[in-house]
Amino acid sequence: MAGRTRDRRLMRSAGNAVYAAFGATLVAVLMLLIALERHDFSIMVVYQHTTRQLPLQYQLTAMWASQEGSLLLWLTVLTGASSLVVYQNRHRNRELMPWVTAVLGGIMIFFSVMAAFVSSPFASYPGTPPSNGAGLDPALQNPYMVVHPPILYMGYVTLSVPFAFAMAALIAGRTDARWLASVRRWTLFAWMCLGVGMLIGAHWAYVEIGWGGYWAWDPVENAALLPWLASTAFLHSVMVQEKKGMLKVWNAVLVSTAFALSLFGTFLTRSGVVNSVHSFTQSNVGPFLLGFLAVAVAFAVTLIIWRLPLLRSEHRMESVISREATFLFNNLLLLALAFAILWGVVFPILSQAVEGIRSTVSVPYYNFFLVAFGLPLLALTGIGPLIAWRRASPGSLWRTFRWPMISALAGGGVLALLGAGTNPAALAAFTLCIFVAITIGLEFARGTSARRAIAGGSWPRALFDLVGRNRRRYGGYVVHLAVVLLVVGIAASGGYTSVVEQTLHRGDSLSIDGNKVTYAGLIQTKQQNSTTVSARLVVTKNGQQQGVLEPGRRVYTDVQAGQQVTNEVDIHTNYLDGTDIYGILEGISPNGSSVAVKVLVNPLVSLIWLAGVVFVIGAAITLWPDPREARQLARRYATALAREA
Amino acid sequence: MAGGNLAAMSGGPRIVIAVSIAALLAVFLAYEAIHGSGQLLVSVAQLRSDKDGAAAKTVDLTGTAVRCIGGACSDEQAPFTFVVKDDGSNVTIPVRYASGSVPDAFANGRHVIITGRMKNGTFVAEPDSLVTKCPSKYTSGPPSGQGA
Repeated sequence: MAGRTRDRRLMRSAGNAVYAAFGATLVAVLMLLIALERHDFSIMVVYQHTTRQLPLQYQLTAMWASQEGSLLLWLTVLTGASSLVVYQNRHRNRELMPWVTAVLGGIMIFFSVMAAFVSSPFASYPGTPPSNGAGLDPALQNPYMVVHPPILYMGYVTLSVPFAFAMAALIAGRTDARWLASVRRWTLFAWMCLGVGMLIGAHWAYVEIGWGGYWAWDPVENAALLPWLASTAFLHSVMVQEKKGMLKVWNAVLVSTAFALSLFGTFLTRSGVVNSVHSFTQSNVGPFLLGFLAVAVAFAVTLIIWRLPLLRSEHRMESVISREATFLFNNLLLLALAFAILWGVVFPILSQAVEGIRSTVSVPYYNFFLVAFGLPLLALTGIGPLIAWRRASPGSLWRTFRWPMISALAGGGVLALLGAGTNPAALAAFTLCIFVAITIGLEFARGTSARRAIAGGSWPRALFDLVGRNRRRYGGYVVHLAVVLLVVGIAASGGYTSVVEQTLHRGDSLSIDGNKVTYAGLIQTKQQNSTTVSARLVVTKNGQQQGVLEPGRRVYTDVQAGQQVTNEVDIHTNYLDGTDIYGILEGISPNGSSVAVKVLVNPLVSLIWLAGVVFVIGAAITLWPDPREARQLARRYATALAREA
Repeated sequence: MAGGNLAAMSGGPRIVIAVSIAALLAVFLAYEAIHGSGQLLVSVAQLRSDKDGAAAKTVDLTGTAVRCIGGACSDEQAPFTFVVKDDGSNVTIPVRYASGSVPDAFANGRHVIITGRMKNGTFVAEPDSLVTKCPSKYTSGPPSGQGA
């Protein structure tokens, strides 16, 4: 109503309702946390996921170990983000905000109904409350349980904001670039949270699950990757719409796709329709989520089709050798990769529906498409930032990319001579990473040199000023550098890992990648709610001790269903070359005289975690408020308004 | 849809974009043609009844681990044999897990997925192919037992 009547009192009332929803949700969260802390086993969630012996941090984070509590977390992030949106836009975007509030309000209503009536975190334990709870699964008793789910949820949930702005722009008929400015930072924030959330999850799997890997293409992992890929595509194509007024339909579709994929991800996680190590017993929320997803998609498609006449491009793409075309190819590859992953996730469901029996795709399927679409994407990461808008000539291309290409090919040749050619895909990835790193380096060098020429000062000062004046551009380059580190880490650890499995008696050794690993005996340690028996493995190289690994088996004593045994891996990291030596205790002989161990050497795997840090730095640079950018946008909007008048 | 409006491009870029989309689709088709349509995921009952020739193929078997030969499943280390029950009936099958890691969550009553093939009435698993679902997350319903 506020949107149609433009009544400011109604708009203010709607905003106040959003604030009230956030307040009410916070009260619910506080009540649940108090119940968890006080071991109130009359509440089902508290009983099912905690015990009196559980350390405090896991008692509290058990809130999101449960379906019901995680829905409350979703609602908390949603109402919090919505409140921030209302507050940020209290004096601007007056035409869009009523519709933004309405769309966000609709999403809030859905999740409120789910949390209150379908899957309530305050459901009572039937009968007399027990004196102790069932316990939290040991795999979830890890410090990452404190941060991984909340960060991922911030990523999933805040994709609602760009979606709401896109729908509002379509409803209000304001389909120029103004709505993009409002959503770009929210999309960046969601995208950053999803990326960091996935990397934290990967590290958690690496140190906890104990197979030596960090990504298994599990449906729940893919559920976070899919909206991240769609958001990545949007963050690139939005630049084309801002600069050239093109790809308007494409951007509206991308934002809607990212939001739909976030809903689809939570549907996958909670419905039990696909098999995953993250569990999924069939629950009652699946049909509701699927229904809401269908409504959201139908709503978005209807609006886009209705407003197609307003979404015509302002300019034509003149050449495929241009930055616009490069960003479009980038988008096509990202979405092709997302489609391949989505197909792999839903394939069991579709094959069951068509053939009556489920078929699955496994890791080789995903890895094939990651390489097939990822390598061209990596090349575009180096080409896109340097190629000219509108049209680039072959001559300018040669001048721009000559030295990066020659250097990359030379570097690739050297790596091949050093033995990297045993894995052609990894070698190609390394070569392209050299290309991208050089293009990034050249951009920083040229920009800093130009800044010094204008303003003088030292090189560090000029670099600082350069980045400060062009945060979006150079923050983006830092993110691209993170991608380079990530690809090198994945290619090296995926393509060149060594594995040895052996049974060792005390004093026996195994050899792996030039390292000697000697079994020195068993040790036992006690923790608050568990006891661990570990095998002491001394790692030496050329006679020098490199480190000690103590992989073990931990017995938890507070899990009600009986003692639960977990494998606790141990990892020795060489920070000079980023290589991990990874030890797994696979078994202990009945009399304890021998142990079965598995040792892996994962080259350059630490670069993956370093990439996460660089990624956050780059994203933070692009997110940092820039007064110059704000003035540029204000001038652009004034021009757009004058044109409409 | 690609490019926002293909009509907004001049002829050259339009053709290149269309060819690019066709090339991406061709990659999918080529993969399907070479590698076929995935690996069967069968229940115990489907494997016993040889649905779609499952008994003669390498398949992913799903079911619930009901007991381990020789001790508690939560203590097991490869090699060991355990019994998997069908989720919808009482049909069972023995599974031989000769080598590989045993997931932390593996225990009696846990749902498992394991890759292998039938050999002389026993399902012989591939190394490191045992996957166990995390039991506590996202289940809803009454508790399975009373508190201590």
